[in-house]
Amino acid sequence: MALPLFLQSIEDSSFSTWMRESESPFAFYFVLLFHTFGLSLLVGANSIIDFRLLGFMRGIPLAPLKRFFPIMWVGFAINATTGVLLLTAYPTKALTNPDFYIKLTIIGFAIWVLVTIRKRVFDDTSLTEPEMMARGANLARWSLLLWVGAISAGRLLAYTYRYVTFP
Amino acid sequence: MNLVHLHLLLNHFPIIGTICGLGLLLVSLSGKNDDLKRAALIVFAVMALISLPTFFSGVGAQGAIRGLPGVSNALIERHEGAAMLAMLFMEITGALSLIGLWQTHRSLKPARWNVLAVLLFSLITVGLMSRVGTTGGDVRHPEIWSGGAQPVDTGIAGIIATFEPAPAKFTDLMIGNKFWWAFMMDLHFIGLALIIGAVGTLDLRMLGFFKDLPLRPLHQLVPWALAGFGINVTTGVLAFIGMPGFYTYDIVFWMKMSAIMLLGLNAAAFYFTNSFNVVEHMGPGEDAPLLAKWIAGSSLVLWFVVITLGRYIQSYTDTIKPR
Repeated sequence: MALPLFLQSIEDSSFSTWMRESESPFAFYFVLLFHTFGLSLLVGANSIIDFRLLGFMRGIPLAPLKRFFPIMWVGFAINATTGVLLLTAYPTKALTNPDFYIKLTIIGFAIWVLVTIRKRVFDDTSLTEPEMMARGANLARWSLLLWVGAISAGRLLAYTYRYVTFP
Repeated sequence: MNLVHLHLLLNHFPIIGTICGLGLLLVSLSGKNDDLKRAALIVFAVMALISLPTFFSGVGAQGAIRGLPGVSNALIERHEGAAMLAMLFMEITGALSLIGLWQTHRSLKPARWNVLAVLLFSLITVGLMSRVGTTGGDVRHPEIWSGGAQPVDTGIAGIIATFEPAPAKFTDLMIGNKFWWAFMMDLHFIGLALIIGAVGTLDLRMLGFFKDLPLRPLHQLVPWALAGFGINVTTGVLAFIGMPGFYTYDIVFWMKMSAIMLLGLNAAAFYFTNSFNVVEHMGPGEDAPLLAKWIAGSSLVLWFVVITLGRYIQSYTDTIKPR
């Protein structure tokens, strides 16, 4: 199957070339670093909410954990941005790898679960803690599973690609 | 200063430190002194942390003397295998000690099972560490070889030697399958997320964010951070064993190790100053004292420094000369 030519056009752009070939520590690895920062903010904070909803650390009141949402959205914004930049650096590598689509799908579901947790558990301020946990426990289980899946699929991108650049 | 210096500087700590820890533990058991017991657990945890750079610097020391006249590579690998086995028991002792310290925080003294487990594992560690020291001495000091001939493991030493991994085979095992490697790196990232989630929440609250959260129960996050750290020490050591030359001659790897040691000091500053006692009693809306804020801020910064340095390891390989 012939690969679409737009992959080559992206790779030939000056930004994409700079990302791949620059010796500067502020090129590819800098973007990758911020992708890791974003991951730690989003998944780190989300996992604490998940564990709490599952009944761990019961001494911590649940409702104030709503404050984590802005942090998680900042993490998500960082990773959406850096993700696009990383994709610009290696479009062929990512888009010819089925694992890349699996990763995006898992992230889509994980974000959907997060938004649902927000709506069903945190936005209804009339709920008691046991009610919040009853509503959130299953979502929390899915959330943890999906984030482990997203990180794993992301890591696997480094080991499963077919092309590095346009052949 | 080079990696040989560093190895010689560090290598006495795990040997003598675990003996001191065991001594404290035995005295505390005979005198039923819970403060001494805590001190012993702290010593074991510190030694488990210091053992990491001690172990890592050994490969650099090996690189500096390998091939020199009178240096036997077989003796070096014998020492390295002994160190790997001792490390395993040292890290388990350290992890058990941290669990014990967590229990002393909740009920003033560690559980009986914990004290027994620490006693058992630290006894084994002391024995194994002394073998690491002896086999290490044998590498460069033929004057201590008994009978003047190159040492051969007989008797108890021979039995222990059968449990010690062959370093080259261990390395092959780690890098033989790329999906095993991918799995370890995956766990390393999951551990990272766990650490930042738990430590970040605690640090941000101490710094004055999310003030409607009471601080006291947030301390329950610490075991989650330690679980993440445990995952990452395990996967990190295994990765090092898989590619020793890659990490050893990389300046950024050593900067990352230094940052992790500083985080050990940071934890000590939190628990051994008044900060922890004050924070432990803070309810919703209350503001942490300035010292506690400094400790929280430096912890947060250092963890992100650790991530940053970890990310840049692969760009700075071969930045340290082997000799």
